[in-house]
Amino acid sequence: MRVDVRALGACNRLSERGAKQAADALSELTGTDLAVEVTGASVASGEDLAEAFAGRESIGVSVGLRGGLEGEAVLAFDADNVDALLSLLPGGQSMGHSAVSEVGNIALGGFLDGWANYLGTAIDMTPPRYFEADGAAVLPDGALAGDGVFLFESRLDATTTDLDFSIYMLPDSGQFRDLIVGKTAAAAAPGTEAAAAGGSDGDVGGPAVPYESLSTFASLAKRGSANAADNIAMMTGLETTVDVSRLRFVPLADVPAEVGVEPHAGTVFELQGKPSGYLAILFEESSAATIAEAMLPMEPDEPLGDMAENALCELGNVMTSGFIDGWANVLGTSIAHSPPEFVHDIGSATISPLVAKLSQRQDYGFVIDAAIRTEGVEARCDVYALPDERELADALAQLSEP
Amino acid sequence: MSHSSPSRGRRASESDETGVDPGRIRVGVGELAVATDGETLTTSGLGSCVAVGLVDRDAEVHGLLHAMLPSEDDARSAAARPAKYVDAGIATLIERLRRSGASGDRLEARIAGGAEMLDLTDAVGPRNVERAEESLAAAGVPIVASDVGDGVGRTVQLRADGGLVVRAADGFERTL
Repeated sequence: MRVDVRALGACNRLSERGAKQAADALSELTGTDLAVEVTGASVASGEDLAEAFAGRESIGVSVGLRGGLEGEAVLAFDADNVDALLSLLPGGQSMGHSAVSEVGNIALGGFLDGWANYLGTAIDMTPPRYFEADGAAVLPDGALAGDGVFLFESRLDATTTDLDFSIYMLPDSGQFRDLIVGKTAAAAAPGTEAAAAGGSDGDVGGPAVPYESLSTFASLAKRGSANAADNIAMMTGLETTVDVSRLRFVPLADVPAEVGVEPHAGTVFELQGKPSGYLAILFEESSAATIAEAMLPMEPDEPLGDMAENALCELGNVMTSGFIDGWANVLGTSIAHSPPEFVHDIGSATISPLVAKLSQRQDYGFVIDAAIRTEGVEARCDVYALPDERELADALAQLSEP
Repeated sequence: MSHSSPSRGRRASESDETGVDPGRIRVGVGELAVATDGETLTTSGLGSCVAVGLVDRDAEVHGLLHAMLPSEDDARSAAARPAKYVDAGIATLIERLRRSGASGDRLEARIAGGAEMLDLTDAVGPRNVERAEESLAAAGVPIVASDVGDGVGRTVQLRADGGLVVRAADGFERTL
């Protein structure tokens, strides 16, 4: 059974469309302008998700899905934003739970409309259930059990107030697999809805990977990060861990927004081999300075001056080798990387040339959320893995051949 | 609640009214927007991308494009998202401005961005700028000011009067 990589693209575009409908519905209800900031599909193991959500408190609603798509969808607000949310709603604070349930119901209804339209099938929602949850308990039931679950996540942003929220949907994997595989067949027929939504190039017979290999994406991130940590430890003599929370599949055009306009520092590499592409490791300025200082024998004269630049390049080098060695092992290919190029600028500006370059051939990339901890110092970074999707699909497909 | 599948019209692939403050329209990467009510159009994190601001002051119409690649010809996918490309984006923006009451003869352009952020990518910034200059010249729209090139990221705001406020990553700000 093969899945067209573009079918994943279609799913992504779809959650984007669903999220836009959710935003519109909420804007109308609250009279506040909401924009869809980021939408992504991710593949993650239950263990990784539990780590990523540790310490967060959420409130929201969940609904069960029946009919064309089975599973569960959840709309969650950060518990800190609840007051802001309630103040926007008709009825205000006094409405409490029922207001949140109503918002959730409307937004999730909008979200699922998008999916129902695409799948050409009806999706029924069970009545909304209000919840307050700690950590990963916010995720749909079953998300923590699997070792490679698909999760669709959208973040909406209110420009006038702090009202970010996320929608997570965990489709039942057997049924979801049949749907996207079915859609793949349809996508091969030009002029169908799926072809229009899934492949902008109309190029029949695009890269296809076995469904079973998709969870290999998750292991790519994990394996790479373990290697990266080992390499840092070897270089610095400091015990280091690199935690990867998940691997997200995002539209390339959204990557700059994802990095954001805050200043970032880090390194960029070109990858050669199977797959080729780019890899960028970006830190927010304060994290970059912290990790650079931890690596240097003395405190640098300026936080992100030449010494720090050298340290970050070296760090980037060993992390990148770690990641790509891990990938090459999993994929059974060989991948090499260029020397590091140091970047320090508006985050989205640093990544835009890479996005531009890859956009000529493809519409999606991968983001690995990672945190580096080295003996008491913690620095968050994002690893943007932007492989050539056809080459990656080929490598994954070859993996599963007997 | 049941969600059936009526065939609704698909939205245009470039969303042109994302993230709205009162009086402010945010333009994302590979997007364009036109304003007729005096709104400020903003786009952030221009690296190698180029921003093209066009205004017809008499008609009080202005528009902003944030394009990523020089030409549609470079892409395997045709016209799916014209605002992604400098050439197709400029053509689409001019057309949208005309439909909103602008006259092609009165349009003037300001451009920013097109930085050479990385040595790894083959000068996509300068090629974006070059293509913007060619496309605007071909359309007969004069470029009255520009802040392009170098190796610096920029954030821009296009005001209703056509002024393009460019802020560099180091905080330096100028109005074109």
